[in-house]
Amino acid sequence: MYQLVKDFFNGLWNENPTFKMIIGMCPTLAVTTAAMNGIAMGLATTFVLVFSSLLISLLRNFIPAKVRIPCYIIVIATFVTVVDLFMAGYFPAMYKILGLYIPLIVVNCIIMARAEAFASKVTPMRAIADALGMGLGFTWAITLIGAVRELMGSGTLFGFPVFGENVTRWVIMLLPPGAFITMGVLLGIMNLLTRRGVKNTQCH
Amino acid sequence: MKELLLIIAGSVLVNNFVLSRFLGECPFLGVSKKLETAISMGFATTFVLTMTSVATYFIQFYILEPFGLSRFLQIVSFILVIASLVQLVEMVILKTSPALYKALGIYLPLITTNCAVLGLALLIAIKRYNLIQSIAFGLGAGIGFTLAMALMAGIREEMEFGDVPEALRGVAIVLITAGLLSMAFLGFSGLIPM
Amino acid sequence: MNQYTRMIVVLLIFSVLSGAVLAFSYELANPKIQEQAQKNLEASIKNVLPGITKYEQVEKEGLTFYIGLDDQGNKKGIAFKATGQGFGGPIEMMVGYDPKEGKLTGLQILSMAETPGLGARIQEPTFTDQFKGKSVNDPFEPKKDVQVITGATISPAGVASGIKSALEKVTKIYPVGGDY
Repeated sequence: MYQLVKDFFNGLWNENPTFKMIIGMCPTLAVTTAAMNGIAMGLATTFVLVFSSLLISLLRNFIPAKVRIPCYIIVIATFVTVVDLFMAGYFPAMYKILGLYIPLIVVNCIIMARAEAFASKVTPMRAIADALGMGLGFTWAITLIGAVRELMGSGTLFGFPVFGENVTRWVIMLLPPGAFITMGVLLGIMNLLTRRGVKNTQCH
Repeated sequence: MKELLLIIAGSVLVNNFVLSRFLGECPFLGVSKKLETAISMGFATTFVLTMTSVATYFIQFYILEPFGLSRFLQIVSFILVIASLVQLVEMVILKTSPALYKALGIYLPLITTNCAVLGLALLIAIKRYNLIQSIAFGLGAGIGFTLAMALMAGIREEMEFGDVPEALRGVAIVLITAGLLSMAFLGFSGLIPM
Repeated sequence: MNQYTRMIVVLLIFSVLSGAVLAFSYELANPKIQEQAQKNLEASIKNVLPGITKYEQVEKEGLTFYIGLDDQGNKKGIAFKATGQGFGGPIEMMVGYDPKEGKLTGLQILSMAETPGLGARIQEPTFTDQFKGKSVNDPFEPKKDVQVITGATISPAGVASGIKSALEKVTKIYPVGGDY
């Protein structure tokens, strides 16, 4: 039990995919023009992460090592398509905003990295705990980025005006440069908070 | 001809894959420490992007759409084709040019999970480009990616000697630099009516 | 079973299962996706033709028109789709037109890829409402009879010219003051 709790909290903070491991940057930068987009993108990714981790962990003794990567790709791509279809059917407004970046969850390094480095080696329970932690860790991180950009760029938070109507909007925060700069500054603040140099991890 | 040049210029400058579409961020942040490796990575990716544009064009418009499978088999088939294509390219380069393999080899497997490649495939399907336009788009995407990689690597090589605040060392300062680069690229927007 | 047959069998099983799961999800989700598309279309038609309760779809000269009717069955106007060239790509919109008065009755942006915070503000009512009651004979020129958005001139110009070029065709089929 203790192990499961530890696996879960690992992704939330210690090995947070966004701020500590710095992976999955494409959706992190692309969709975070509003806090709500961050939540939607994060939850969609969490769904794929949890189910593909579970399946890969269950089948870990069945999949031959040499073809494991194609198998993982098929599993992940299948779940992503399921999310894509149901989001288009039930959340059309959000689907329109996230658009291209929903199918691109397939190549989000977080999912492949967790499948290869964790889920394929441990029991299904641990795989789920880890996937949930990683997914929610990703979700809070991109929601925070979305909130900062929305607050500065549109003067609202989750769509509610914060600074009143006549505030000067910093449109640059909603444009591509705003994404890079917000992420860079937040990363710097996280480094200050944890007082540790970032491990310069990269994808894959 | 003019239209093709516009597609290329559009994907290199106006909607640069890395700096404005946010595709291919992982190698952009991870493999941009040295100019030489950044450019090698750029060329390898350009090669795969161009091949992908051809392959996915035929899959989308000659297999998926005629049989009505596009809506639910598109993602799976695209990613599998990209993965096999990368493998194939790796084998061909290994057999034909060991020197090239030595330069690009280690980057090739990474390209499968580069979102620029899958993103390109999906964009071709959305924009409904014809074969020649698709190739131009793939080539432009690759050149744009290489350009961004080279610019970033050049800046990072200089930054090695700069006095960066401790908290910003590592990826943080790279992201802020990318923000400034992206701001410069904003200047190109509106250059071409898309 | 040797190593290679096992690899091939496993891959085959994965592909077949994936295909089955996807086909099943598609069957499940597709009616909902179609329903949403229909709902969106209906909502946009009702938005640009205020006061209607139902509409009829008419195809004329390769164009699709939606003729709006109120609960007594009186014709209240025509809605049609128009496309303009924006800053980030095409702008698709639904336009409401009242041939009797020769005026527009509403505008809704259906899809666009304009810059968030700048050009994307063409979706806001503060911009779209200016087209309500606008005469179809107006010049539709930005900064003259079409108000633009601070920091974004191309997107509003795309909207204006998109409506104007669509109206040129539409007013030939349904002339001002004519029957429809």
